[in-house]
Amino acid sequence: MDDKYDLVGFFLDKEGVFRSNIIKLLDGTAAEESASSISFAAGTFAAVNIVFLMLFFSQFAILWIERKAVARMQDRYGATTALRSLWVGENGVTAGEWWNMLPFGAGKPVGAINKWLNKKYGNRDENFPTVDRVNNRSWMGKTIVPGFFQNVADGMKFLVKEHMVPQRADKLIFEVSPFLIVSSTLLILGMIPLSSGIYATNPDLSILYAIAIFGIAPIGVFFAGWSSNNKYTLIGGIRSAAQLTAYEIPLLLTLLSVAILSGTFNIIESIHFQHAAGSWNIFLMPLGAALFLITMIAEVERVPFDMPEAEAELVEGWWTEYGGMRFGMLFMAEYIRTYAACFLFTHFFLGGWHLPLQGTIGSIEFLGLGGLYLLIPGAIMTLIKSWLVFLIVFVWARFALARIRTDQILEFGWRMLLPLAVLQLVLSLVYRLYLFNPDDMSAQNDVAGGMAWDAFGIPFFVPAATTLFWIGMFWIYLNDEDKSVAQERMFHVQTVEPAGTVVPGQE
Amino acid sequence: MPMHPHAQPNFRNLFWYPFKITLITALRTFPFIGKRFGKKLGDYHNTSHPEFLDDGSRSRAASSVVMNDISRQEFAPDRVTSDLKPTLWKPQTVQYPYERLEDMEPWLFVPGNYNGRIGVIWETCTACKMCVNICPNDCLHMTTELRVDVLDSADGEDGGLGMELEVGKYAAVEKPEVKAELEEFNLVTAHTDAPDEWRFAEVLDLSGDTATVRWNDSGEEAIVSQDELRPADDQIVSGRIDLGRCMFCGLCMESCGFTSFFMTNEYDGMSGFTRQDLWFDASRTRVLPGVHQEAVDAELAKRASKERTKRAKKAAKEAAKGDA
Repeated sequence: MDDKYDLVGFFLDKEGVFRSNIIKLLDGTAAEESASSISFAAGTFAAVNIVFLMLFFSQFAILWIERKAVARMQDRYGATTALRSLWVGENGVTAGEWWNMLPFGAGKPVGAINKWLNKKYGNRDENFPTVDRVNNRSWMGKTIVPGFFQNVADGMKFLVKEHMVPQRADKLIFEVSPFLIVSSTLLILGMIPLSSGIYATNPDLSILYAIAIFGIAPIGVFFAGWSSNNKYTLIGGIRSAAQLTAYEIPLLLTLLSVAILSGTFNIIESIHFQHAAGSWNIFLMPLGAALFLITMIAEVERVPFDMPEAEAELVEGWWTEYGGMRFGMLFMAEYIRTYAACFLFTHFFLGGWHLPLQGTIGSIEFLGLGGLYLLIPGAIMTLIKSWLVFLIVFVWARFALARIRTDQILEFGWRMLLPLAVLQLVLSLVYRLYLFNPDDMSAQNDVAGGMAWDAFGIPFFVPAATTLFWIGMFWIYLNDEDKSVAQERMFHVQTVEPAGTVVPGQE
Repeated sequence: MPMHPHAQPNFRNLFWYPFKITLITALRTFPFIGKRFGKKLGDYHNTSHPEFLDDGSRSRAASSVVMNDISRQEFAPDRVTSDLKPTLWKPQTVQYPYERLEDMEPWLFVPGNYNGRIGVIWETCTACKMCVNICPNDCLHMTTELRVDVLDSADGEDGGLGMELEVGKYAAVEKPEVKAELEEFNLVTAHTDAPDEWRFAEVLDLSGDTATVRWNDSGEEAIVSQDELRPADDQIVSGRIDLGRCMFCGLCMESCGFTSFFMTNEYDGMSGFTRQDLWFDASRTRVLPGVHQEAVDAELAKRASKERTKRAKKAAKEAAKGDA
């Protein structure tokens, strides 16, 4: 169902406050005839900018999530450069009087406030006389503010670094390929909706658009690897090209099965379908969700599929020769692609902007609780779901799993993912044709949602049975060991009777 | 191929267990739920009661009781919960330099043969320059310095084996409060020179039991009892070391014939913001009295006895000459 907060409607509705006022303003001027188009352009500009700003600023969150979660997995605190670093220090000594660099003395009040704060709340413990001057990120050695500022600090660092081009590089291609990668990556964000009313554009075939635009960057990767004229970058670029088809085809087939199940090539309509049919797609195609995640990890080149930039063997892979802001942009592009992958998973499998159990809780009439529940903005729900997908899948996999070899990626892609993706395609067809009751779908804006996936008179039988089946398969696979084979213990001394079971002298 | 069960390349070992272990490790550090998940990592990580010493740590501590008497220590201060977030089991990473491993787990000391910060017992240095000659990086330089003649107090008494108080030369008075401070002074954490426990003065006049001196620090004249004064000299050997060039090879220590030159096992206290900060004067490299007193006493006793036999021989020779 439609989200309550309709940004695009506010800016682009001709009868709405925004456009009607602009049209009224232009009444009687030379631009009167094209007032409608001008107001449309202004509304589009505003909406697109707001959506991009939301996507960009929320992207800081995933960088932060990754750093913090990884730190916890490695038993440490993680990034600690908070905004506090700009003012805290020892008795008036701060991180540097940066406010004096602002023009027209604009920073003078900041400096005054800074000095006052330092005097009042700076580190003054004489137990750490030198330490406080060097490291001003913590208060008496304890980190109390999350290190959200670390990413900004990193960005500033990249900005002021020198741009260097290797002498023997193919300079034109070397300069062009980061822009190819970054611009094609930014285009991905264009069609990602935050909710039914918050998106930059909504093309009819947005699923196809997403896949097409995702496929441009690997060409830039290959260009970058070749043009740097460096053995590591070349190997990285070739590896990227080599593993491309192994995961792209299963990815395409998986998205095709999503499109078949929802009966549309439009992302927003496929989300509406999940609500109107009564079940999120992840419960109908857990196999497809797993395939999508695996192939997307490979697509955005993260561990365990990060052969193209394997740090341990290829320095930094295909982007070894890029430094300064070129590196920063490539880095940002990689994270935007990851973020976009999280959004796509949220939209295709987790019901997009819909709240958990939106139909059930939303239709509670007691004390208007359902209405209150529906007041939660869908964009927030999309962001939370995407962050959770990033945290649970991308970050966790990155630090749990080991990088796999090129031949293993190819074998895995061609001999496991591809047949499974074909299986999922067939399953989607069967589900859509034989297990789906179009008559039981609700209207798009019905709060309660539909019950189109019932069988044998049991509502939600199809998603429940499917989920249980795949969980069972997972459990079987987990315990798939031939226990009848005697395990020779190569590394431990084998004890006939375990310690503690035998009392000396009484055996 | 027969394999250890943990090495089987199956789905569980390659995929599921890494996920499980990283999840538990991460959850262990969060408030409230942390304690519950800590137990799942098993005994190896000692997570069920991480603030207390596990059996392995306690037995290690007991075995090194000669080094440090902490065999009855039950508590591991590096694993105490945070003050600000009482329910949070904080990561067990040592927060250096706020915390230091040797403070919290004293049995994990830095090995004695570790080549760390240079320490010199300047009192026993004879300026033979063996260390300067052998240094491959030219970081050692010999200088002279105004200092008390320690040989004067060899054998634990003012035996008069060293210099005498002379008009026109230097003398010094001990500052007891600084001497007491030096007992506690730690060059590793101080990052500054050790304070000097002597107040130097120029001797202007000697008459009877008292002496007229002019203090070097204030320039004022004063009359002091001769018992308090120690003879001092501005030509006593000293040196400075450019730690920015030092590669800690330890050849200087090996070449020293008087066991005055040491590489201590201290790894800290050698940093600075400029290259000049790394020029360590004698006050920065000296081994403080609390550490070296026995070595100095032994060396000085040796020299005193040598000096005494020399004088005795000389006196005997004189006497023999007189007899003849």
